[in-house]
Amino acid sequence: MLESEYQEYNRFFLNMGPQHPSTHGVLLIVLEMEGEYVLDPQPVLGFIHRMHEKMGESRPCQGFMPNTARMDYVCALPYNHGYVSLIERKAGIEVPKRAEHIRVITSELNRIASHLLWLGAYLLDLGAFTPILYGFDDREHILDILESVTGSRLTYCYHRFGGVYQDIDDKFIEATRAFIKRMRKRYVIYEKLVTKNIIFIKRTENIGIVSPDMALRYGMTGPNLRGSGIAYDIRKNEPYSVYPEFDFEIPVGEQGDCLDRYMVRVKEIEQSLRIIEQALDRLPEGPIRAKVPKNIKLTPGDCNFAVEAARGELSYYLVGDGTSTPYRLKIRVPSYSNLSCLPELGSGILLPDLVSILGSFDLVIPEIDR
Amino acid sequence: MVDKSKDYKNDFIHQGLNATDTDYHQRGYHLEVALDVNQVRKFAQTAYDLGFYIVFVAGLHVRSEEGNDQDNSGLEVVYQFARYDQLYRIKARVSVPKSLKVPSISDIFQGADWHERETRDLFGVVFDGHPNLKPLLLSEEDSNFHPLLKQEEKLKSLDEVSWKSGVPETTEKEANDETG
Repeated sequence: MLESEYQEYNRFFLNMGPQHPSTHGVLLIVLEMEGEYVLDPQPVLGFIHRMHEKMGESRPCQGFMPNTARMDYVCALPYNHGYVSLIERKAGIEVPKRAEHIRVITSELNRIASHLLWLGAYLLDLGAFTPILYGFDDREHILDILESVTGSRLTYCYHRFGGVYQDIDDKFIEATRAFIKRMRKRYVIYEKLVTKNIIFIKRTENIGIVSPDMALRYGMTGPNLRGSGIAYDIRKNEPYSVYPEFDFEIPVGEQGDCLDRYMVRVKEIEQSLRIIEQALDRLPEGPIRAKVPKNIKLTPGDCNFAVEAARGELSYYLVGDGTSTPYRLKIRVPSYSNLSCLPELGSGILLPDLVSILGSFDLVIPEIDR
Repeated sequence: MVDKSKDYKNDFIHQGLNATDTDYHQRGYHLEVALDVNQVRKFAQTAYDLGFYIVFVAGLHVRSEEGNDQDNSGLEVVYQFARYDQLYRIKARVSVPKSLKVPSISDIFQGADWHERETRDLFGVVFDGHPNLKPLLLSEEDSNFHPLLKQEEKLKSLDEVSWKSGVPETTEKEANDETG
């Protein structure tokens, strides 16, 4: 048998998903394989496409609020935050300081919950079963805290135009402070259990290296970008809400492999805890909602608002026409751009490494499909 | 150290592009670039050379102006770019001709690949030179169905959905005239 014939004989297609456990939702990747090596991974999207943008254009802007939580269901509050901020920028609504602080506290709690879920699920992809139990234990505390003010555990609809739905009470503050204290102790456990684990390091180090130029060409953002050493965080670079008042750092990696992306997220949990701590200390008294007209008129013209979601830059782009219904609402989601580099990043690697890369990207499929 | 307040308007004007400054606090972006169809690739190359990253490519459906501009399908393609090292956002806009063809920028910014496929799905814009313009979010059977195209009675002209270029005083005056 000739060499070329042998290669032809060894080449085949493999469907990874849409029910594959490591795709975390309904994502199909059609892999062109040669033996154990992936030649060309092509993601196939749209299994849970719901056309959120059309829904945004066919009802008054208030009616879109619940939809924002159903894109990224793991970290819904930054999506709430971005949408209300967009409408506030368009309609010129001033938000009370207390409301902005509450928004930041709840969004950061949600970000930690998202990172904890990711941490557990990623290690489950790599074959470690225990960390997800620890992660879910910690996440459960956050969900309880958030449930006490928002009323829901997953798809929050808590932020409102001009403020938030209801005020936080002493019980909430107490529980949040207790969680911060607890979470700092848990770091030691995660460090011992995961970060220094030799199998984990072998599965992640030098795997799936994203270079800064590649990140720029694909428009990658969030921890996936920061793993490559670029300190780009919308909370710092394009300050919104009350983030400029807080002292926090942007953790960055060195070379952009899976291990760096892991380290960035773990360090971000601590930074989020710092933000929450400061926001609780400086929580001002006052109203939690501004007076907002019942029928918000969106003036003609376009407007953009970007926030840092758990997975990167979330941009809402709105075109108004003078009515209360958006004429066009474009939602730029981070995972969509982050995943789009997979065909380039994943060619010529081993199949188990592809699983490691996919997990390290922290994909949320409903957000990609919208 | 990167200059945090660099203005990129002149870099685009030097390339013969029509760039204007905008009010960031009102609109959320700093620079607006109105493009001709044959300038799209030059604009993307300039943005890449200056170190911008791609935020998104999207479509917009407005009423086509008959008469003064014959070659206008009513569709617009909107590009947004931003920077990692400073706060600077660019919005670029191009009117799609009747042939529905706009040059693809997916070889300059590979990230545009999926955004262009999405725009083809939702609006039917054909990106010329795209290597793989297959349905992405919608199914293959629906490749001629474009959900974000508006019905004729809901369409508005581009002027009706754009910022008023005049000074605010005049619009206030007009409003007073109407009530008075």
